[in-house]
Amino acid sequence: MTTHIFGIRHHGPGSARSLRRALEDLRPDIVLVEGPPDAADVLPLLAQPDMQPPVALLIYAHEVPRLAVYYPFAVFSPEWQAMRYALTSGIPLRFMDLPQRHQMGVELALLDAPAAPPEGDPAAAPAPPEPPQPAEAEPTGTTAVAPEPQPAPINPQLDPIGALAEAAGYSDGERWWEQMVEQRSDAAGLFEAIQEAMATLRDGLTLTDPIEIRREAWMRQTIRQAVREGFQRIAIVCGAWHGPALVDLSNAAADGRILKGMPSVDVRATWVPWTYGRLSYRSGYGAGIESPGWYEHMFTVEAAVGPGRPASDRSFEITVRWMARVAQLLRGEGLDASSAHVIEAVRLAETLASMRGRSLPGLLELNEASQAVFCFGSDLPMRLIHDRLIVGERLGEVPEATPLAPLQQDLARLQKRLRLPAKASWEDKDLDLRNQTDLERSRLLHRLNLLKVSWGKLQGSSGKGTFRELWRLEWQPELSVGLIEAGIWGNTIADAAEAFARDAANRAAALPELTQLVDQALLADLPDAVAHLMRRIQDEAAVSSDIDHLMDALPPLANVLRYGNVRRTDTDAVAHVVDGMVTRAAIGLPSACAGLNDDAAAALFGRIVKTSGAVGLLQNEDLQAVWHSALRRVADLRGCHGLVAGRAVRLLLDAGVLNAGEAAQRLGLALSTAADPPQAAAWVEGLIKDSGTLLIHDDGLWSILDGWLMGLGAEAFTYTLPLLRRTFSSFNQPERRALGERARKGPAARVRRLSGTTDSAPFDPRRAEQSLDVVGRLLGINT
Amino acid sequence: MDQLLREHAEQQYAAELEALARLDSRPRPPRWKLSPWAVATYLLGGTLDDGTTITPKYLGNRRIIEVAIATLATDRGLLLIGVPGTAKSWVSEHLSAAVAGDSTMLIQGTAGTSEEAIRYGWNYARLLADGPSPDALVSSPLMRAMREGKIARIEELTRIPADVQDTLITIMSEKTLPIPELSMEVQAVKGFNVIATANDRDRGVNDLSSALKRRFNTVVLPLPDTLDEEVAIVQRRVSDLGRALELPAEPPALEEIRRIVTVFRELRSGVTADGKTKLKSPTGTLSTAEAISVVNSGLALAAHFGDGRLRAGDVASGLVGAVIKDPVQDHVVWQEYLETVVKERDGWKDLYRACRDLL
Repeated sequence: MTTHIFGIRHHGPGSARSLRRALEDLRPDIVLVEGPPDAADVLPLLAQPDMQPPVALLIYAHEVPRLAVYYPFAVFSPEWQAMRYALTSGIPLRFMDLPQRHQMGVELALLDAPAAPPEGDPAAAPAPPEPPQPAEAEPTGTTAVAPEPQPAPINPQLDPIGALAEAAGYSDGERWWEQMVEQRSDAAGLFEAIQEAMATLRDGLTLTDPIEIRREAWMRQTIRQAVREGFQRIAIVCGAWHGPALVDLSNAAADGRILKGMPSVDVRATWVPWTYGRLSYRSGYGAGIESPGWYEHMFTVEAAVGPGRPASDRSFEITVRWMARVAQLLRGEGLDASSAHVIEAVRLAETLASMRGRSLPGLLELNEASQAVFCFGSDLPMRLIHDRLIVGERLGEVPEATPLAPLQQDLARLQKRLRLPAKASWEDKDLDLRNQTDLERSRLLHRLNLLKVSWGKLQGSSGKGTFRELWRLEWQPELSVGLIEAGIWGNTIADAAEAFARDAANRAAALPELTQLVDQALLADLPDAVAHLMRRIQDEAAVSSDIDHLMDALPPLANVLRYGNVRRTDTDAVAHVVDGMVTRAAIGLPSACAGLNDDAAAALFGRIVKTSGAVGLLQNEDLQAVWHSALRRVADLRGCHGLVAGRAVRLLLDAGVLNAGEAAQRLGLALSTAADPPQAAAWVEGLIKDSGTLLIHDDGLWSILDGWLMGLGAEAFTYTLPLLRRTFSSFNQPERRALGERARKGPAARVRRLSGTTDSAPFDPRRAEQSLDVVGRLLGINT
Repeated sequence: MDQLLREHAEQQYAAELEALARLDSRPRPPRWKLSPWAVATYLLGGTLDDGTTITPKYLGNRRIIEVAIATLATDRGLLLIGVPGTAKSWVSEHLSAAVAGDSTMLIQGTAGTSEEAIRYGWNYARLLADGPSPDALVSSPLMRAMREGKIARIEELTRIPADVQDTLITIMSEKTLPIPELSMEVQAVKGFNVIATANDRDRGVNDLSSALKRRFNTVVLPLPDTLDEEVAIVQRRVSDLGRALELPAEPPALEEIRRIVTVFRELRSGVTADGKTKLKSPTGTLSTAEAISVVNSGLALAAHFGDGRLRAGDVASGLVGAVIKDPVQDHVVWQEYLETVVKERDGWKDLYRACRDLL
């Protein structure tokens, strides 16, 4: 009986290649892999042809699906290769890590102790909540890529590879391992050397982390079990760090004691499709691999070239094929990339590598060469290369027989709790949002819509202010597929919607898209996503040179600010954003008003009216002053379209910034003979558009217009008449009639009316009180 | 020599080059005075085995210089690109001094640069007297570099008219310069290469044809990475220049320089220093060199019209002038920056007021 320990780094393509070869040479009769034994039931799925990496093994607590751990695997993961080897050659495969049912049990016990419910913290990564103790966070290489700089001296227990690299004079553990192990061409003695290095590193160290101690004890127990069962050649695949601890199997009793009495929870395991993007750094809880696409390239090229050829051939092949792929990618995007470019890039990469004393170009050299040769020094194409080649866009697949994902289970649970069963035929639901169950139903439907699982369609949109929503529910089979796809966003509907909204926010290019998302996120009650969206809006607003977008985005935000506290939105963040937007809109407004044609002026007219309304809603004097000074500049602007200039005067008049005399003077100027007639007509239109009723009742406005008209000479009146006719024709019939009647009565009528309203009906609090009850019910305050 | 306003790199740093050559045991490409490794040390500074200190010529990313040197070691030309004031010509001069020991094979690119300036001209008196002969030929710096296996430098490549630029294509791909009038050619000797510099912002002026672009490896020289780095550069240059101009002002407080550099960096990168707020960027380049000139003009103002201390009012006009290059667009950018960033920053009230008054 022999045991063979293969210390690897998770997701190292070189490790994967060497391991595969070593296993083929060894022909073990059992393979033990560092992984959660909870997944034993779903392991056979690996052998199915439609299981395509990258995929992740998902272990989650059945009762608390937020408590979940992902074990991502790519084709270049040594574990993947070991598992595939075992399953295809028909030998037993076992996971030997401490089961997640115990790890989560410990975690849950810790969480419960300070009475903190696992509600997740709002600052969590844009993804499902931090897994409690993910396998990737163990001290075996992948932790060496923790983004923060390592403080000196490096603690070998936390970062063994970093410690070795430091001893070798490298600043970066990742790079050192890459060069010493992953890029090594002859695998002979590699695993023995790793074992020895780790043993030296661990010499004299005692583990302190209780979880680590238990994990290694469990691994040893699993090995003992295999020995007892009579296996002859036992292959053990584990993170290099654990290697030395698995050699001495003598003290079984001690391990038994360590493992006694651990808490346990009910866990489930399944496979979920993964992406290379999620394997990389940027997605917050990935496996911490910067360059999955590059790793896959190295792995597949080396596999294709085969072991028979000398190392220099293989490395040359990797470089050449990489550059050819870069060229292909750039060509596909319409950029110049000829074969001559490829030749030059390969030569530069090799020269660089030899200048730096490397045996073959690493990704760094390849990138620098690509940038200098292909990209004309620019980093835009480099970003393309990074996203499409270095990280890669590969999406994994899992077989149909894979067990249900937690997201589906969460939906089923919610459907049951909210008594909202999924039916294939359509059904209308009238939700009263003042009722807690209905409110939760509405949130669920909005969240699902956000995830593009459009089970319910909102019939007849009602604004945020109303409390009734009419939904049409219809469950179509393809929605199940959508739900599985949405599974990558999180394990509960709320988490997934949140993560999805954040991601959409990061990808949205323009303000209108973002404001629409805010609206959706508010309806779906995702406060964290809203806060994130606000930051994005602030960023976009700052660089947006499109004042239209700014002004369009402002009113909904002002609404949020004014009424948002009902929904517990972080109003401070919104207020800051809105401040900036008003200031920016005010600065940009005058230049946006120059040189408008009629259509553009009409559009801007609407925006100015809405923005003014929004600014008024904010009730912030500073902002109003800023906005009014912008309007004043518009009113003074020469060559500004009349519609806009007229409305600016009107808004200033309404706000009391201009007094009646000043407004009358401006009206006179705008309509004087020197003015171009269409321009003058537009001006009057701007002044009184959509406000026929207001004109009837607002004495200030009336007297300005009336006074100006009465002051016109006969000739000037004839000249102005067509302009006025045109404007007044936009009012409807009853309005025009009322205006005419008022004009016929003359100024005296006005005085009488004024005195009539103030004197004859003094305020009667007793009568007013009688109506309070009805008003309260209308507003939904007292039901 | 002492009378010279400015010495060539190979003259000024002769001692360093000599020490490097003496101690350099690594393989050298044909006709190189130093190995690529030693060239990198010459540019980036370091201490040699015998204790000689090599001063850094370029402060910044080591990788950039390594890519540049590796390019020269292949037979592709090197094109240095960057906004004005990023030490393109400086790097090009020192590279050729270190590689070939000679930085004088220089062609200055302008809109008026003719083909003769790049290939060869004629001594017309000889031409008329004796007819076409090698003696009547006036060789260009490029031709001399080809003959002697040295580095030819072309400054501001993109300012040279496109048809003249394309003269370089044959020279750079076939390494030969035909002289049809004499039925002869000049073939480049090993060690010949070309370093060209071009200005980022003028890329559209006479953009390189893709055929020519293909003959160059491009290296972008960036603006300084960190605030501290840039502040240090500005401070050193300002005190050098201040001494040269003999300004009777106090050297500026570090805080004031830091503030100006912060404004430059924020507007240039389009995001505030704390990384929280995005900003619009103006059309101008806002290079370190311009920051230096803002501080300098502020110092001159303070010395001659103020109390000798650099104050917000002294730098405001220079600052506004540096930022607002396009009267419409940049004005909006600057105003937004003032209102949303400067106004709210602690201790910047004086700068806000001074800039506000100028608008």
